[in-house]
Amino acid sequence: MRYEYVTGNIAVAEASMTAGLKFYAGYPITPSSDIFEYLARELPKRGGHVVQFEDEIASINAAIGASWTCAKSMTATSGPGFSLMLEALSLAVITETPLVVVYVMRTGPSTGVPTRSGQYDVLQATYGFHGGLVIPVLAPSTPQEAYDLTIRAFNVSEELRTPAILLSDAVVAHTYGKVAIRERGEVEVVDRAKPSVPPESYRPYDPLDGIAPPMACFGEGYNVLVESLTHDEKGYYAPRTDAQRRLMWRLYRKVVESAERLFDYSAAYLDDCEFALVSYGPTALSARVAAKLLREEGYRACLVKLRTLFPLYEKGVRELLRGVGKVFVVENNVGLYFRELRGVLRDKEVISVPLIDLDVPPPQEIAGVVKEWL
Amino acid sequence: MAVGHPLDPYLRTDRLPTMWCPGCGLGVVLGTLLRAIDRRIREGRLRRENVAFVGGIGCSARMTLYPLFDSAHVIHGRAIPFALGVKIVKPKMKMIVVGGDGDIAAIGGNHILHALRRNADLLVVMANNMIYGMTGGQLAPTTPRGLYTTTTPYGNPEREINMVRLAAALGANYVARGSTTHPQLLEQLFYKALAKRGLAFVEVLSTCPEIFGRHIDFRSPVDLYLELRKRIVVKAKPSVEESDYNWEKGFVIGEFVDKDEPGYIEVYLDYLSKALEKQPS
Amino acid sequence: MRLEILIAGRGGQGILLLGHVLGKAIAEHTDLHVLGSETYAAETRGGDSRVDLVVADREEEADFIKVVRADIALFMHQLQLDAYKDLVGDGAVVFLDKSNVTEIPRRSWRIYAEPYTDIAEREIGTSRVANMVALGHLVGVTSIVPPEAVESVIRETVAREWVDLNIRAFRYFLRLSPHRQTEE
Repeated sequence: MRYEYVTGNIAVAEASMTAGLKFYAGYPITPSSDIFEYLARELPKRGGHVVQFEDEIASINAAIGASWTCAKSMTATSGPGFSLMLEALSLAVITETPLVVVYVMRTGPSTGVPTRSGQYDVLQATYGFHGGLVIPVLAPSTPQEAYDLTIRAFNVSEELRTPAILLSDAVVAHTYGKVAIRERGEVEVVDRAKPSVPPESYRPYDPLDGIAPPMACFGEGYNVLVESLTHDEKGYYAPRTDAQRRLMWRLYRKVVESAERLFDYSAAYLDDCEFALVSYGPTALSARVAAKLLREEGYRACLVKLRTLFPLYEKGVRELLRGVGKVFVVENNVGLYFRELRGVLRDKEVISVPLIDLDVPPPQEIAGVVKEWL
Repeated sequence: MAVGHPLDPYLRTDRLPTMWCPGCGLGVVLGTLLRAIDRRIREGRLRRENVAFVGGIGCSARMTLYPLFDSAHVIHGRAIPFALGVKIVKPKMKMIVVGGDGDIAAIGGNHILHALRRNADLLVVMANNMIYGMTGGQLAPTTPRGLYTTTTPYGNPEREINMVRLAAALGANYVARGSTTHPQLLEQLFYKALAKRGLAFVEVLSTCPEIFGRHIDFRSPVDLYLELRKRIVVKAKPSVEESDYNWEKGFVIGEFVDKDEPGYIEVYLDYLSKALEKQPS
Repeated sequence: MRLEILIAGRGGQGILLLGHVLGKAIAEHTDLHVLGSETYAAETRGGDSRVDLVVADREEEADFIKVVRADIALFMHQLQLDAYKDLVGDGAVVFLDKSNVTEIPRRSWRIYAEPYTDIAEREIGTSRVANMVALGHLVGVTSIVPPEAVESVIRETVAREWVDLNIRAFRYFLRLSPHRQTEE
């Protein structure tokens, strides 16, 4: 383990290598490109592959293909590129392909302000692809969290056989911080389960007793079937309601029922809290300072920072905020994740504090808006 | 006891019959391709566990459902990047991309363009029935000018794409065009393509009697087959300039390009070795 | 312990390098935690250049990326002093480049004003290392990080042909600083 003073983007790149990244495919886009450039220099030295493709569509499809050789795969992008990747993300979901997509949000819609930040894509990150399922979305607010959550994204992706999103943004991407960089062996790294049966009796989409099916890969003699059609456990096309039900509920449950295990947050001043500021990403840093400012003025404010945005552990959030009167959801968009929390905290007054800012919304502004509601 | 087919060992026989319509040319494409693979395996030039099929969406892409190899049936137009992702990590794999003219030449156009530019080590088989068959007869970039499709009901006003010229222009090592009406030649083209490094592009003219034929008044599979056969011009070693793709003048089949330049993977692995030797330049 | 540090000047004054060296020295050579952010105008020279550092002994206290109330500030130019002076809290330790700052606001700051740019030009031979002269002063007075740590970071960060010059500039005030009298 060593400490380095690096940006969130570099922390992501370093973490991906520790997690065992073997294949990165990408297309340049601000503010994610320095992940790509750093890996282009470093990953080949560790026996991995970094290739620039003709667009984001090719990049994610190549990453999915590489994952079927059992190489841990990743791509990184921002809003416009992620939008292009959505169809393939859906492919990764139905084929249960482990894959990490680093989504470095920038100001949108469309080209927006490419170098600056925002949290407009928080819902797109999990709801954007077609097919109506949920994939894990982890949101760091500092370079250290970017490092830790990148490793977790890989682990979740391998364990559940699902694409996972590391939801960063232009602020985290370019903020420097002291980051504890660990070697393999100093941190838990999960690798996907492999089949223990011979090819003749292998059923590629049968989870057996586990949460996700063991994964045979290309070139191992298993006659692997990667199937984008609705399929049965053998991977054969099954255009039947019973097969669709079985597949959908399994894909849904394996992620949603992992919510408790994946639940990750931090809190400040929760003990005597009367009203909570709930936030995520770098906006949560500003909200924490806002809570401090409010407390200096005698208000019993607290801060809850969510690091796992999806799947949301609803029971956990309810318990965490049990003693709190009002809940303010602070985010740098028009009030999106607020909708998720309002649905979970139906017995509470949940107030949206949507503050649009090209950087992080200033703490004084957050405190000011909250005070208007008190 | 039922008598097996000689290609049964290469097929997921429990999935047969195929989903293709009676008279569809795709059975010939798959049959000739598997025969060519079988010859290469028996020669010791290919290892079975290293052969993989990747297809996008369309009737042709469903060729991936039946061969008993590693296979991926992915999304529309994206078989090439998927296959290249596999190939980069496992260069020993023989990646065979199968797709229709819509999958490869229309929605997948950007990917075939850059795969050709890279001379990527893939065998790309484009089965060309000149129409969107699976979706019911819409315009393809390969539809000959003037012909009826459901989205150009007054006759296709657009120029058709000649993929042989594109593949040759962008530097593929091997470029050939065959036809399901000439299966022996087709098998030979596949056989040769399977041993190439770099990109091998084989376009296969194929019949879609149900959709294409019906709309242009060749209602029976045999009629359409004979009509296509009539328009095929076989040449021994045609030049790229001779690669006519034209409903009136005919469709020239044969081997247009046969080079042996280093493929992408060799060039890439050489690049990779630099990372281990020295600092980035 | 939690400190907010603001470094600001005009583009071309080496503000980002100064801030980066200081942040890196704190992160990699002390037990303190740090978050740092860089802001700069699109044009390389002349626009605002600013580095915000939040330093704390506990990780969760290094909790923001922008200065709200600076405890330590360094202004290399009048324009940025005027622009950001309200971000500097009462009682803060403030360093000013007297070569570029003429009007000093009347605030309850502990002010250290020296002509860093003139010193760099006169003593080191080039105004380009004024940033390191200032950094030496800041480190000498505040003792936030050991000077050896900063020098080690300078050696890692600065192009080889400029290392000696930068280190000479960095040492200028450390030799004079009352806080560093025990050094040789």
